[in-house]
Amino acid sequence: MSFSRREFLACGSAALIGLSLKSEKQLAGSFVNESAAAGHLLRDRASFSPPTRTVKIPVVIVGGGISGLSAAWRLQKSDFHDFVLLEMNERAGGNARWGENEITAYPWAAHYVPVPGPQATYVRELFTDLGVLKDGQWEERYLAFAPQERLFLYGRWQEGIEPAIGLTPKDREQFQRLAETFAKYRSTGAFTIPLEIGYSNKFAGLDRISFADWLKSQGFDSRLVNWYMNYACRDDYGALVQDTSAWAGVHYFSSREAEEKGPLTWPEGNGWITKRLLERVGEHVRTGQMVHRVAPSQRGVSVFAGDTEYQAEFVIFSAPTFLAPYIVEGFEPLTNFVYSPWLTANLTLERLPESRGAEPAWDTVFMDSPTLGYVDAMHQSVRSHIDRTVWTFYWALADGAPSQNRALLLEKDWSYWKEAILRDLERVHWDIRQCVSRIDVMRMGHAMVRPTVGAIFSAERAGLKRRDGRILFANSDLSGISIFEEAQFHGVEAAQAALRHLSGTK
Amino acid sequence: MGILLFLTVLLIAACGLIYELIAGTIASYLIGDSVFQFSTVIGTYLFAMGLGSAISRYLSKGLVQRFIWIELMLGLVGGFSSALLMLTFAFTQGFQLVLYALVIVMGVLVGLEIPLLMRIVQDRYTFRDVIAHVLTFDYLGALGASLLFPILLVPHLGLVRSALFFGLINAAVALWTTYLFARHLMEKTSLRAACVLVVCVLTVGLVKARQITATAEDNIYADEIIFARDTHYQHIVLTRFKDDLRLFLNSHLQFSSRDEYRYHEALVHPGLAAISAPRTVLVLGGGDGLAVREILKYPQIEKITLVDLDPEMTKLFSTQPMLTGLNQNSLLSPRLQVINADAFPWVDQSTGSFDFIVIDFPDPTNYALGKLYTTAFYRAVARHLSAQGFLVVQSTSPMFARDSFWCIAETLHQAGLQTFPYHVYVPSFGEWGFVLAGTHDYLPPASIPSGLRFLRPEGIPLLFHFPPDMAPLPMPANQLNTQVLVRAYENDWKDISH
Repeated sequence: MSFSRREFLACGSAALIGLSLKSEKQLAGSFVNESAAAGHLLRDRASFSPPTRTVKIPVVIVGGGISGLSAAWRLQKSDFHDFVLLEMNERAGGNARWGENEITAYPWAAHYVPVPGPQATYVRELFTDLGVLKDGQWEERYLAFAPQERLFLYGRWQEGIEPAIGLTPKDREQFQRLAETFAKYRSTGAFTIPLEIGYSNKFAGLDRISFADWLKSQGFDSRLVNWYMNYACRDDYGALVQDTSAWAGVHYFSSREAEEKGPLTWPEGNGWITKRLLERVGEHVRTGQMVHRVAPSQRGVSVFAGDTEYQAEFVIFSAPTFLAPYIVEGFEPLTNFVYSPWLTANLTLERLPESRGAEPAWDTVFMDSPTLGYVDAMHQSVRSHIDRTVWTFYWALADGAPSQNRALLLEKDWSYWKEAILRDLERVHWDIRQCVSRIDVMRMGHAMVRPTVGAIFSAERAGLKRRDGRILFANSDLSGISIFEEAQFHGVEAAQAALRHLSGTK
Repeated sequence: MGILLFLTVLLIAACGLIYELIAGTIASYLIGDSVFQFSTVIGTYLFAMGLGSAISRYLSKGLVQRFIWIELMLGLVGGFSSALLMLTFAFTQGFQLVLYALVIVMGVLVGLEIPLLMRIVQDRYTFRDVIAHVLTFDYLGALGASLLFPILLVPHLGLVRSALFFGLINAAVALWTTYLFARHLMEKTSLRAACVLVVCVLTVGLVKARQITATAEDNIYADEIIFARDTHYQHIVLTRFKDDLRLFLNSHLQFSSRDEYRYHEALVHPGLAAISAPRTVLVLGGGDGLAVREILKYPQIEKITLVDLDPEMTKLFSTQPMLTGLNQNSLLSPRLQVINADAFPWVDQSTGSFDFIVIDFPDPTNYALGKLYTTAFYRAVARHLSAQGFLVVQSTSPMFARDSFWCIAETLHQAGLQTFPYHVYVPSFGEWGFVLAGTHDYLPPASIPSGLRFLRPEGIPLLFHFPPDMAPLPMPANQLNTQVLVRAYENDWKDISH
């Protein structure tokens, strides 16, 4: 009979909660930076109208990502100015693109560069130019602020991403042995960044098996070790361990010294580097210019974009190499270039979610989530009080065939992905829906090259890396590993090859 | 009898809702996360009410007597629930255990009330009337309580006394019931005696409530809280005991009016008096105006710029008479410009050079504050120093947080400055440290403003001597990417609190 009373208290209480819980915010957002439609024109061999003007110019750079911009930077620094850079999107940057709103600048893709080791000479030269490296010291403001990373597992937070709580003695032994194994590989000097420095057939055998098989053969069967290895492969290659070559897996962990300083980063991620490069070479950059045909001839090479035919002596092909068969006349189909589809999203937060037991970190990862978590753009702010921010959410669609995941990316609408992202975040941040006011989603069908078994040591790659023709390939996918340092290395090398060939031809 | 009976329903309904609201409010107030606290408290409470209702079917004899005992028990438990929760939080680790145990006990008792009452009157009215009347007054009582609680009770009575007051109502209902249903009762005298006893206990509690709260808050805040506000940036609490006024920001003591002069004289004069003809001074933090009060003792200073994050803080200290008395209206000085801004970006973006810079931030208890103790920050601040200038940093205790203190000194050193650490004794803080820094050598001043309560020129050189137990330790500098200071500070205080 006291039912009514209970009911009353329940209603009263519900009203109380209702007052404190603001109703869910209206969420704005859309897909942004779409490039699939334009790209598919190439795939479908659409016909483009013939050029109405011709421009004679010694060097044309195709693609305005880090590779292309780095090639331009090298040409400019060598006092060579007769070149043009053609970028299909409205803004340059490629995987180092960024966005901005009234709160902060934020990345759209790559968001950090590990502190480069002594072998990464081009990166160090660039960072000296940009004031990141001064008198042998890294600028403090560009190093990721503490706390850098946190992982949510077993309902709580830990610092760092390598699981450190809830380890069984077996897990502990395997993490320890894995670290020793990688240290041994590191000491061989065969695993370097850029990859080309240490590249040798000595460990090519590792490229013939998958990282998953290698882990198994070495007796690494701990669930936590495997989660962590998968996380690393998803993060750098957009792939699971079974779809990654063991050589690439080992390279991830053996190419860098264990860092104490933390990576270099900026609110807009590697977009900061793009900005600085554009300040230097921007006058040569033409955006919204999709190159649809590259036709080599004996005297030179013609590049067709929009209404213009560029008659060049050399082309630096910085765009992803998979485009070459669709653009470059006479180019054979590729067999060793697989790309991982990705989705990134930028979430505008009007307030920070409650986060019991952990201070906000730069990079937040959830154990056993299919996504890679998020990076906080305001983390690199020197402000003491931060109430609004932008989170960049990363999701490599690694599980399943890339083509299927690409189809899924195209098929599902914005609200599907918005909901998927919110649900993933909601597992950890229960009040996330009250915090977010906007979610913009970027779909990338071919976000990064995937170092599949046999890819890195394929003859196909070796041929393209020779850079002995009129078309000098320069995308990071030549390394088989899509990271800033590789893109910059191939861009600079291609520029140097162009300068060499030009001086040779004169 | 009808109306009196239903008035009883109204009163017990109000009591039931009030205890639930009090438990939820105290849990939110002390632990935070109000949605979580309210949800779980209400859920548990309703579940316990269900239990009470279920138990009611097993009570068959002497319903009126049982009802009276339930009211008395509820009066005691509910009445003292607030005080018990506050004391538990202040003195034990088991707050949540006690909270939910209490909520279950109260819920069961409340769940028993109405079923018993309905059964007591069931032969007096038709079933239809019982339901209609009891429910009407039940809802009315709950409405009254839910309006009274936020509007009158919390602001005017406070949580402890509100609970006791409603406990008294429960006890009064019990007493009253002994008359209302007198003919159902065999043994009236002892029941009435029990009722009177409970009323007395609760009345004493009500009268002494102030002491109960004081005892509880003694452990949270030592003295009576005279002002508390959650601003956009921080939790400001002012307490007073006799003539001692204390300011807490996010529960950390900032000053005690009894000895703050020691702190603020030591913060300002050793550095400022050593500069010949200073004209401009910058104060970062220090929204209480106490450092500015000391700086205003130099007539040759033309302009003071105070940068403090929180406008409510500077407003409070420029308008509240007790506080403006303490800072001698320093924040209203025409020589002062107050800027409410985040210090690090302000330092980055502003131009202007200063002869003396006071850096007086709360201790580096978290990474957000830790940014204001880094080489990057000190480098940025040093760009604003005039050629003859000095800056001074409040640097925690070289005694209790020795690692932290020497870490701050090393950070200033690696930011390219010469450092001159010193310390004073401030009774409410203990041994406290400062680091003076500049681009040239320091000579203690020969003269300082007259009328200081603590410092004399001949005493200043002595402040720079560190006895062995506070002597320098080799520490790394604090940087944005390492924030070693926050960890060091946490360890330092952990070491002395256990």
